[in-house]
Amino acid sequence: MLEIEGLTKQFGGLSAVTALDLTIRAGDIVGLIGPNGAGKTTVFNLITGFLRPTGGRVTFEGRVITGKGPHDIAARGLVRTFQVINICPELTVLENIVLSCHLRPRVGFFETVLGTPSGRRKDKAILDRSHAILEFVGLQNMVGLTAGRLAHGHKRILGIAVALAADPKLLMLDEPLSGMNAQEVNETMALIRRLREKGLTVLLIEHNMRATMILCQRIAVLNFGRKIAEGSPEEIKGNNEVIQAYLGTDGYAA
Amino acid sequence: MNNKISFRLLGYGALVLVLFLVPAFGFGPYALHLFITMAMNVILASSLRFIFLTGQMSLAHGAMMTIGAYTAALLVLRFSFSSWLALLFAGIPGAILALIAGFPFSRLKGMYFAMVTIFLAQMVTLIGAQWRGLTGGAVGIFNIPGPDPIEIPGILKVDFSSKVDFYYLVLVITLISLLILRAIERSRVGLTLRGIQQSNSMAESIGIDTTSYKVLAFAIGCFFPGLTGGFYCQYVSAIAPDTFAFLFTIYVLVYMVVGGAGKFMGPVLGASILTILPEIARPLREFVPFLFAGILMLVIFFFPDGMVGLWRRLRVMAIGLMGKRVSHA
Amino acid sequence: MSGSALAQSIINGLASGGIYILVALGLTLVLSIMGIVQMSHGEIYMFGAYGVYFLFASLGLNFVLAMIISTLVVGGFGIVLERFCFRPFRAEPDRAMIIAIGLILVLQNIALVVAGGTPRSYVSPFAGILHFGGVSLSLERLTIVIIGSGLLVALYLFIRMTKTGQAMLSISQDREGAALQGIDINRISAIAMFLGCGLAAIAGSLVGGLFGITPTMGGFALMKGIAVIILGGLGSIPGAVVGGLIIGLIDGVMPVLTTAHIAGATGFGVIILILLFRPQGIWGHE
Repeated sequence: MLEIEGLTKQFGGLSAVTALDLTIRAGDIVGLIGPNGAGKTTVFNLITGFLRPTGGRVTFEGRVITGKGPHDIAARGLVRTFQVINICPELTVLENIVLSCHLRPRVGFFETVLGTPSGRRKDKAILDRSHAILEFVGLQNMVGLTAGRLAHGHKRILGIAVALAADPKLLMLDEPLSGMNAQEVNETMALIRRLREKGLTVLLIEHNMRATMILCQRIAVLNFGRKIAEGSPEEIKGNNEVIQAYLGTDGYAA
Repeated sequence: MNNKISFRLLGYGALVLVLFLVPAFGFGPYALHLFITMAMNVILASSLRFIFLTGQMSLAHGAMMTIGAYTAALLVLRFSFSSWLALLFAGIPGAILALIAGFPFSRLKGMYFAMVTIFLAQMVTLIGAQWRGLTGGAVGIFNIPGPDPIEIPGILKVDFSSKVDFYYLVLVITLISLLILRAIERSRVGLTLRGIQQSNSMAESIGIDTTSYKVLAFAIGCFFPGLTGGFYCQYVSAIAPDTFAFLFTIYVLVYMVVGGAGKFMGPVLGASILTILPEIARPLREFVPFLFAGILMLVIFFFPDGMVGLWRRLRVMAIGLMGKRVSHA
Repeated sequence: MSGSALAQSIINGLASGGIYILVALGLTLVLSIMGIVQMSHGEIYMFGAYGVYFLFASLGLNFVLAMIISTLVVGGFGIVLERFCFRPFRAEPDRAMIIAIGLILVLQNIALVVAGGTPRSYVSPFAGILHFGGVSLSLERLTIVIIGSGLLVALYLFIRMTKTGQAMLSISQDREGAALQGIDINRISAIAMFLGCGLAAIAGSLVGGLFGITPTMGGFALMKGIAVIILGGLGSIPGAVVGGLIIGLIDGVMPVLTTAHIAGATGFGVIILILLFRPQGIWGHE
């Protein structure tokens, strides 16, 4: 589904990401891990168009998307969340989702401004879909709350819901579990599994090793911008280079 | 909830009724001129706020008004358009300019956007002064005819010979403009614009073309000063390239900020009150601009939400006080 | 077209360029170090001009002394502005910009009330014509070029050789990083404002002898300053210098080579091209 070949990003003399090759099959949950500063978020930015690669090629569902703008790529079904939570803080939870439901159905300018019958029909459809999504992620009781006032864990889930509403085929989650307590982590892990059951493909950056090992079918490991290992969770657990990379920095235990 | 809505509607309806009855109170031509100016300022401040919804501060509003005035004047004088068509089309060249300039401009951050719009405005003034063939040069155009008379046999005969006619015309234009701006703001488009202002990244990541939306907001926002300019040139019969220079735009900005850029009614309030203020403050003579600047500073430093914010705070305080009374009773 | 006329127009262009550079430098210093567009920069320039008028033409002080005093006072005023108007809003540049816009009204009206609206002027001691190898040059404009160049060199040395100057350079390139390095942003901002306003004041005082001084003369300076910054690059100091020279020369030389219309159009055309294809300016980094 997603093919990354030789992806490279240089900043002046520094190479943040070097010659990354990665293939993601439809229906998988793939993990992208590595010590802090390994370049994982940079890879996300490169794939989704927030940063321009200096080399390499990214193909999504057979079409080349390298160098395209972020909204272009997102509209094709590749939606990401952010390490720093990016939601609209002054809109309500519901409004955030309603905003995100703009791709299906597409509401025309005059339909929405003039409030035509077709416009109102679409608005109702969007409202229903938004409520459904909020129920799916478990935020249905916070519909009217201002998004900026939510607790951190709920904000993260809202971020995932927003991405979901944009009708993704491949969902890229940047540290979705960060800052969550144990219960929230379990709930979110269950949510991610439900996403896969719905047919979504997931690419995920995480520092929580336990969760990553349980959720992912395949894991790729980055260090200093290069892929140093790729394989099933078992293979990665036992990989010496991976262990070295982590022990060399923070030493996250599996 | 339904009660609140119909209460509001009733309130606005009553207000509109009063506005239509104003001339019946026997105001002289000077007072009417003041009201007409107030209406124009309301449109200007409200459309400036519309552009500001996406975080873009446009300082080219005066220039857009100038373009609109010249457009209407030339359409009538050179191309024999009816004054009504000219009025309708007056806002279009400015909007198109905003559309074109918007694409490179909208990539810039808030302050830089403001800077380049200043430059754009200056360019318009200078072209207006230089291109004598088109614009009559620095002197401008005068003897612009007023609006074509409206005649509905038996019901209405308006020949625009008195200020009252202009008052009603501008009132209708203002109400329609406000309705349009309000409708857009409450629609999905408005939601999208607000979302873009709050989190550009989120919008991009879900497939929203933020640049195009910002340009759209800029273009729509620049249509209305053009429309107002079209009215102005028919009202005053003359237009010069520097009538609506930078200082004019600054005043519009002050109306918006003091009224409160956060709510729709903010600029309406700010423009209305600040247009009348110089009249009330007449005794201060040359210190009137200080009063203005002082109010602006006061608002920015202490009441950044403007008058509407202040109103809200007072209401909240009043409700709080009443609540305390009730609980003590 | 005679060599004399060409030489004159080049000096005119360089002098205009010098003024534009001084104004733009002040604007860009404040922009890159404090992060705000100081919209009332033109009014500071205007105060510099009035200051010299008051000290030199009314009080009869020596011209150079008048310039120095005026510059120092206006620079000091800038420090006051920084402390009370801009520092509280360091985190909200849009709001600071609106304050600066409000200052336009305040400062213009102070000048209007104190000095009145009729244009003032004086005859600068540098006025006169210099005859040089068959070419007649305006001495005053030549002086502007010399003083302007001198100031540029001084500024360059200041930034390169002093610790404060280096600190200013770091802040202009990366504000948060600089703060983490322990640079006192308050102090440096005050100095930036002092320098920025001082440069504008000097520009104003140099111009006072050439054109009339009015409370609204600042608008012209702001427009030119903005044009130079757009051309040369947002936040770039060398950009301000090159941009100022280009625009100054276009304004000075082109009307002699072609008509005034084409000259004006060229000036705009250049900036429009920049805006369309590289809106951050030639050297800009935003």
